[in-house]
Order: sequence, then C-alpha cells, then structure tokens
Amino acid sequence: MTMSTTLRARALPRARKGIFLTRTLAPYLFVLPFVAVFVAFSVYPLLFTLRLSFTNWRGIGPAEWVGLGNYSYLLTNAGFWQGLANSGALWLLIVPAQMVLAVIVAVLLNDMKLRLRGFYRVAFIVPFVTPLVAIAQIWIVLFDQNYGAINSVLGLIGIPPIGWLTTSAWAKPTLALLFLWKTTGFIVIILLSGLQAIDDTLYEAADLDGASRSRQLWSITVPLLRRTLLFSVVLQTLAVFQMFAEPFVVTQGGPYGSTTTAGLYLYDNITRADLGTGAANSFLLVILVLALSLGFVRLLRPKD
Amino acid sequence: MNLTSRQGRPGPRRLIAVGTASALALVLAGCGPSIGAGGTASKSVLAVPTDKSPRGTITIWDRPGDLYKVFDATIKEFNKKYPNIKVKHQAVNIDAKLQNTLITGTGVPDGVFLDDAKVGGYSKYLWNLRDVLKPYKADIAPQKIDVNTVKGGIYGVPFDLDPGLLFYNQTALKNAGINASAITSYDKLIAAAKKYQQFKPGSKPIHLEQSPFLGQLQLEMYASQLGTSLADNNGKLQLNSPEYTRILTWLDSVQKQGLGTRAEYLSPSDVGALDARNEVFVPWAIWFTFAPQQQLKATQGEWRAMPLPAWQAGGARSGAMGGSSFVLPKNGKNSQLAWLFYEFLMYNKAGYSAVYGPNEVYPGGLNTSIPAYQPAANPKRPLFQPIESMGGQDVWATATAAGKQIPGGAPIPSWWAGAVPYLGNNIQKMLDGQLTPRQVIDQSSKDIQSNLIARQ
Repeated sequence: MTMSTTLRARALPRARKGIFLTRTLAPYLFVLPFVAVFVAFSVYPLLFTLRLSFTNWRGIGPAEWVGLGNYSYLLTNAGFWQGLANSGALWLLIVPAQMVLAVIVAVLLNDMKLRLRGFYRVAFIVPFVTPLVAIAQIWIVLFDQNYGAINSVLGLIGIPPIGWLTTSAWAKPTLALLFLWKTTGFIVIILLSGLQAIDDTLYEAADLDGASRSRQLWSITVPLLRRTLLFSVVLQTLAVFQMFAEPFVVTQGGPYGSTTTAGLYLYDNITRADLGTGAANSFLLVILVLALSLGFVRLLRPKD
Repeated sequence: MNLTSRQGRPGPRRLIAVGTASALALVLAGCGPSIGAGGTASKSVLAVPTDKSPRGTITIWDRPGDLYKVFDATIKEFNKKYPNIKVKHQAVNIDAKLQNTLITGTGVPDGVFLDDAKVGGYSKYLWNLRDVLKPYKADIAPQKIDVNTVKGGIYGVPFDLDPGLLFYNQTALKNAGINASAITSYDKLIAAAKKYQQFKPGSKPIHLEQSPFLGQLQLEMYASQLGTSLADNNGKLQLNSPEYTRILTWLDSVQKQGLGTRAEYLSPSDVGALDARNEVFVPWAIWFTFAPQQQLKATQGEWRAMPLPAWQAGGARSGAMGGSSFVLPKNGKNSQLAWLFYEFLMYNKAGYSAVYGPNEVYPGGLNTSIPAYQPAANPKRPLFQPIESMGGQDVWATATAAGKQIPGGAPIPSWWAGAVPYLGNNIQKMLDGQLTPRQVIDQSSKDIQSNLIARQ
C-alpha cells in the first residue's frame, strides 16, 4: 500500500461523514431562519404573556405572583362574560349569514356569462380595503336616530325612528351589518378561488343529467367548497372574537356595554395597565377560540 | 421523518424533541426582560435646572391636530430665549403609544401632552415636579394642582383650565321671553326649560349627554362645582355622598320631565337639535365654543355663554370639565430642558401669549380653554379675541371670571377612566329610565370598589 492509497483510504470515511452531516443538518439550517423568527416573535411573547398572567404587574415595579387570581377574577366577573356573550351573539348574527351570502355572490361572480365581472369583483372588495374609521363615520351618520338616512327612508313608509346605535336591542345588529358589509367581499374572494378549483366537467355531467342550477349548487358546489368554507368560518370566528376596532369607533362598546366585545373588554384591562389580568384574558380567549375552531374543523371535516 | 417507534410509542428522537422544546419554553418564559424592569429611576423629584446656558435636544409629544400646530408655532418664541435647545416636536397618538413606551423604557420622550384624567395612572413613571413648580404653584388654579397631585407629589405641568359654562341660544330664548341672566340656579334652569318647551312644543331644551365617557366627565363638572370628585386625596371612593345624589337626582328629573335632548356631544342628532333650536341649553366646558365656530350652521351667531347656575345660593358658578397637562417621564433624556420648555410656554408672558394669542391656526386666538396660570388668565387682558360666531361675545371675560370660581379639593383618581364602563354606563341607564339615582350610586360604587380600587 503506497502512501497516497493510505491517505485516500483515510479521507474516504471523512468525506462520507461530511456528506452525512451536510445532509442531516441541511434541512435544519434551511428552516432555522423561520424558526428563529417564529420563536422570537411568537413563542417567546406567548410564554412571556403566560408568565405575566400569573402576576399582578402594572408595567412598573416588581411583579407579585398571584397564582390563578387573575383567571378566577375574570371567570367570576360579569363584564368578562358579557363580553363573551356579546361576541357570541355577534358571531351568530354575522358568520352564518355571511357564509350563505358569500356563497351566493361567489357563484354569481364565477359565472363566465356575467357582464362586468371584473368590476363587480373589485366593487365587492372595496369595503374591505377602505379604512374602518372612514366607514365608521359614514355608519354613524347613516344610522343616526334623528337625522340618519336609514330612518328617513323608513319614515317614508311610516316606521318610527329607530335608535340603531343608541339602544341595546339594535346596536348589535347594526354593528353586525357593518362587519358583514366590510368583510363579505374578502370571503367572496376566498370562495371564488375555491370555486375555480371545481372541475367544470362535473357541472357539464349534471347538466346532461338534467340537474337544475339550485340542485347543482347544493349537490356539487357546496360539498366541494366545504374545505374553503371551513377555512372561512374559522377565519371569521377568529375575527369576530377578536373584533375591536368596529365597536371602539362606532359605539365605544355601548349602549350599556351591549357591544363591548371580548376583544374590547380585553383592551380595557390593558389600557388600565392591568397587564396581568389582560394577559390572563388573552389566554382565556385563545383557549376559547382554539376550542371553537377545532369544533368547526370536526363538524365541517369532509367525510372522505 | 418517523419519530415514533414501530410499536407506536414515542421514540427517543420524539422524546428528545419534546424535552428540548419544553426546556426551551421554560427558559424563554423565565428569561428576557424581567417583569418589573420598566421605567425605574432612583430619583423621583425633578431638580431645578441651574445651567445658565442650557443646551441639548428635547423630544416633545403632542397629540395630532390643532394643538400640535399651535405648540409647533411657539417653538420659534422659545428658541429666542433658549437658542441652544433644539425641540424635536412630534405628533403622536399618545393614548396608543405612551403606555408601551413607558413600560419598555425605549424611545421615551422628554415631555408629553396628557389628559388630566390620565396623569394619576402614569405617575409612577413621571417626575414629581414639586420643586420646579414651587415658584408658580400659588398662582395656578387650585383645581389643576389637585388633578395633578398624587400622594403629595405633583406630576404634571398644568396647561389649560376648562371651566364649565352654560351655553344658551340667546335668540331662541329671547323669542320665548326668557331672560337667561336670571338663570342663577339649577331649579331656575328647569323652570326656564319648561317655559321654553311651552313656547316650542316638542323641544327638549337641556342637553343630556349620551356618551358614557362624556356623561361621566360632565358629572364631574357638576361635582367639581360642589368641590368634590369621585375619590378623596387618599383614593377613597366618595360617590355615595349628598353632592352626587343631588346632581344625579337633578339629571334624572330633567329626563323624567321630558326636558332633555338625549344625544352624544356634537353627533348628527345633537347638531340637528341645536340647529333646530330644540336644544337651547348646554351646560358644558368652554370647548363647546368649537360648535358655533365649526359645526352649527342655522344657529351660528345665536349662541352665548354665561356662568353655570349654582347648586345653592352663593355657590360656585363653575366647575372644571376635562383639561390637560404636560408630563415629564423619568426616563426622558433631557427632562430639565423639557421643563424649561414648558416653563416658558406656561409661565412666561411671551410663551403663554404665543400659545393662546392669535396664531395661524386660531386667527382670533386659542379660545377653547383658558390658561391654568392665573396671571395669564386676567379677565381684563384677553389673550383671545371676542368670538364672531357667538355674536362677538367676549368669552374670555366670562370664562376667566368663571374659572376663578372653580373650587379646589377635587383630585382625579388614577382609575377614573376605568370607571366609565360602570358609572358612565349606569348614568346612561338612568337617563334612559332604567335605574334610579340611588341605584346608580349603589351599583357603581360596588363595581368601582371591586373592579378598580381593590385591584390597584
């Protein structure tokens, strides 16, 4: 065995080892930037908040450990439950109606024969991209009890003025209407992408079999849109339970707290620098929304 | 990658991954900025500056809008006296940004414009201005010292005094044969409202605020008139008192007799009722002057201001409603220079004349408040001009005279804004006929005590 052969023989396992290490480590190195950002900006704040939720920290001075004190305070607090109940009621007013409306609009917009299709698509997304504060001001003027356009129109057919934003009976539906108007266009866009993934031959076959448009909608479109609908429901559930800006700008949570959503109630804790309670409130909301989302996933999961 | 063993039990790799993640979670939860680190400074009383030629840069936060422009225009005057102090003047959404900035201690400004009601809540982060304010304290409206005082320390440089006034539609009252100057008590105000209603059926002459926040603020104006507020100097709740009972009973009686317009301040309903001459009495802070100048159309020129009616014969004819001050965070880099800035603007004639006098934003002068510094608020030396859209009335004279009557002894508790979901909402329920004044007091006291005071 010459000297060069010996060296080559020694170098081979080292090279194999290098290749092995490169192959083993490479995937981790590729995902490392994402993991680093994720840990820094998601995992760490989450854990920090969890720790905060067991203290009475108010932003300054030492934090005192209060155990489950913040959680028990919230769970026995009428305001917390009212916030959840308000969000639940808003969910009922918004999400089912929005899904039905969005499916109908998306199906209409997906019709190749529809004229000005592009215009309608843009028109539906405009409310979603318009700043909320501008919309809220329009809403306040439109729904004013004494000088609003809505009551003026209703007055023409003899309906007395309604306190849309000033009575607890009407404030929630009015806010729900604002949310519906603002976000339905976005859901329509999501559903449109789902519709475009449905194979046209299914409709052609249904046509040959003599199925009506409504039958096709119910038996082809809706089942095949199930995943997209599920995604939309989860997305809107999250949005409704986190809803903050709409009641903050339009009703300030009133009248009498009837539009104080779970998100707005959480904000009240934080603005009072009651950071421990705010953190506990956040975690309770996370648990609730997670449970709701998982429930919807189970409920709407395709059987296949 | 299969991390489980063939039997379906967790394999060693999975155990290692879970163990590492758990350890990392514990480390992450425990490390990082310690809870309690933000905004601690060893000293708390700001020392009087002694440097004869002060120099440096200060960062000043003001809220965006007209006041930002007003203060921005005063920097030129300030630099005439202090040429070596550079002012970085920033328009900031203070409510959204201040709390986080103070907690993190990063990018803390040297001076901040802040609502009086919020000063107490931030006092732990702020310089106690007791020593620097000492030469001026005796000349500052007592109410403004009280609202900036927390446990003996003064945490804000008082800016404006916002005296409550009775705004009335002079033309409408004249047509109804009502002499406004005779309305010297709240009972007489009710009598005048009834007379007006007889003259104009369907009208609801007295403003009854529909926003919980502003309704609570207006309640505090009435209470300030009676020399009281929601909590005493020791933070003890004093809502259950004869003064609050009296105010709430009066408001309830206005509502029950159908004499009040239920509307949110300057909402379309409010503006409509004001312009239709259905709402002709507005007991409000001086900043209502904004309405005839900018909002009202049909009744512009018809409005006048007078002192509030008194609760009892010889009682004060005004109370404070709102107001702002300047606070100096302890973690600011140049707090003493910031103090010199505010000292110039508030207590130097050239400074307060620049703030309140005619400027590009307010050609007739800043007429939505008056200075808290009494030598500047001289009824005979107006800083702002008579207001044309109020028939040329000299509101300066009315407001400064009313301001002198505002009693002291009315501190603002740090939890004041947090009481709105309780007291503010309950006032609204009362004005909608759902609660009695007694129920408002009992329910609000219970809620404020358990949700705010007990959790301080």
